[in-house]
Amino acid sequence: MTAMRQALLDVAELSVAFPGRNGPIRAVDGVSFRLEPGESLVIAGESGSGKSMLCRALMNIQPGAASVTATRMDWQGRALGALSPRDWRALRGGQMAMIFQDPAAALNPLLSVGRQIMDVVNAHRACSRAQARSRAIEVLGLAGLPEPEARLASYPSQLSGGMRQRVAIALALAAAPKLIIADEATTNLDVSIQAQIVALLKRLQRELGLGLIFVTHDLDLAAEVGGRLMVMYAGQPVETGPVQTVLKDPCHPYTRGLLRSAPTLHSSRETPLQPIPGQTPKPGAVGAGAPFRSRCPVSVEGVCDVRRAPWSEAGPGHRVACNRFALDGRGGLP
Amino acid sequence: MSKPMIEACGIDKTFTLRRDGRLVEHRALKTVSADLHEGEILGIVGESGSGKTTLSRIMIGIDTASKGEILFHGDRVATRREWRDLRRHVQYVFQDPFTALCPTMRIGKALAEPLAIHGIGSREERPARVARVLEMVGLHPDMAGRLPSQLSGGQRQRVNLARALMSEPKVLICDEIVSGLDVSVQAQVLALLLDLQKRLGLSLIFISHDLRVIRYLCDRVLVMYLGEIVEQGRTDEVFAAPKHDYTRRLLAAIPDRDRPAHHSPIDEALK
Repeated sequence: MTAMRQALLDVAELSVAFPGRNGPIRAVDGVSFRLEPGESLVIAGESGSGKSMLCRALMNIQPGAASVTATRMDWQGRALGALSPRDWRALRGGQMAMIFQDPAAALNPLLSVGRQIMDVVNAHRACSRAQARSRAIEVLGLAGLPEPEARLASYPSQLSGGMRQRVAIALALAAAPKLIIADEATTNLDVSIQAQIVALLKRLQRELGLGLIFVTHDLDLAAEVGGRLMVMYAGQPVETGPVQTVLKDPCHPYTRGLLRSAPTLHSSRETPLQPIPGQTPKPGAVGAGAPFRSRCPVSVEGVCDVRRAPWSEAGPGHRVACNRFALDGRGGLP
Repeated sequence: MSKPMIEACGIDKTFTLRRDGRLVEHRALKTVSADLHEGEILGIVGESGSGKTTLSRIMIGIDTASKGEILFHGDRVATRREWRDLRRHVQYVFQDPFTALCPTMRIGKALAEPLAIHGIGSREERPARVARVLEMVGLHPDMAGRLPSQLSGGQRQRVNLARALMSEPKVLICDEIVSGLDVSVQAQVLALLLDLQKRLGLSLIFISHDLRVIRYLCDRVLVMYLGEIVEQGRTDEVFAAPKHDYTRRLLAAIPDRDRPAHHSPIDEALK
């Protein structure tokens, strides 16, 4: 076995469950991945796929009713399950930081931008006021805000949506983390601002050697972010591999359905979109079988409704969890 | 080409805003002219604050222009009676299917309401018409007894469409109606819109910030930027050969899985 660099995050069989009337409801079910420094992992899925809950579980900020289980959940070789609340506080914001969809909700409207960033710096390292202030200016500059020093005194309400998201990124960078989790961080922004923010995250990843977990519902955007892709459906990962490989040669019927139903810059009415019939199952309604079976055009009777699909190799580093693929090696393609 | 149905001529709109305690004038539309032809799907695209919603609201008289006029079938719309006549033929479908429906009103009642307002049909005929329109948008007639909270986002957006169709309009204004939907459901709603447009001969104004959806759906497109129309034309032509610099920048910023590596806007921005 080749020597592997130590992973930032090494997760196996991570599940997040909520108590339900008929037993636990799994919002996230059996997620495994490794993320090394400087790598990016794109998690793609529609609403209810569990992608946000997964991020919250990684940061240990899941709702109180949720129970998180995993056979392995290591941060740089240390088991996260053994951490005390005090250790978590040092890790969260210090080593791993999160950027949320709505920057207006992530920032305190009553405090100046500089004050909020300096608070984060002070929480994670012993330093003087002047040092905290210069760090705040530094990260605002890294996040691409023009005139970072003048911005210290600004309040969130005085900034545009794109600028606020840059402040949220500065806030995430304040304590020099090793991992950034961006949960639909560009969804509410105009496309030109979205392109700028993604470019910024990629540059920071490259220049600072950050690990990046990028959550999105947009597979085209996933392609622009690059790295590895994990497609999730109803809480379960269904396909994973290098982004370009998965999008060029999608093996799971859900990934294929998603690609066929999303318009691109080249689609026109002459080649109609093919919607996936039906809707995503309610949480807890998946049961024992394959989660996509009720909407799947290639489901196998007597198999998909009783058995969760095993992982199959579809190519180098490309794996798919589909019963049909496990049977025919094509996933129902002619 | 068919003749224009609604024309907007030299529309100006100025809002007065309070900024830092001072009143400032904000010119949301700067002498804009546009028209909607019979049976066409017209896309309006632009980023937030470009004036696309304001223009569409003025075109159907739910907002008034500071300057300029609206023509309906070639005649200037001026009196209240003329506006009411126009509005009967035009329905607005709103963006957020969660706030557009009253949470305590059953679907059937919500759908029958426009009929009561416009005095269309008798009380006895209305349930049958509600059932017919529900089927038209791909929902089971039993939905009439449900509350909005019992429906998914996609179903609510169908109910919204159904309500707009109740008074048999000629024009639908769809303001970001698929933006909040998952892509698999978005494709269902787009297919439904195309089907309805063809079957009922509707004219559609489709407002979106998503150029990929505009490209797919619309015959013609207006590109708006800071209150002006910077480019307009047939959708395929505008997308194949954008003339205005802003359109080119907007197109370059759209994520695209088919774009050759190292040509992405993100790589451009990284340089």
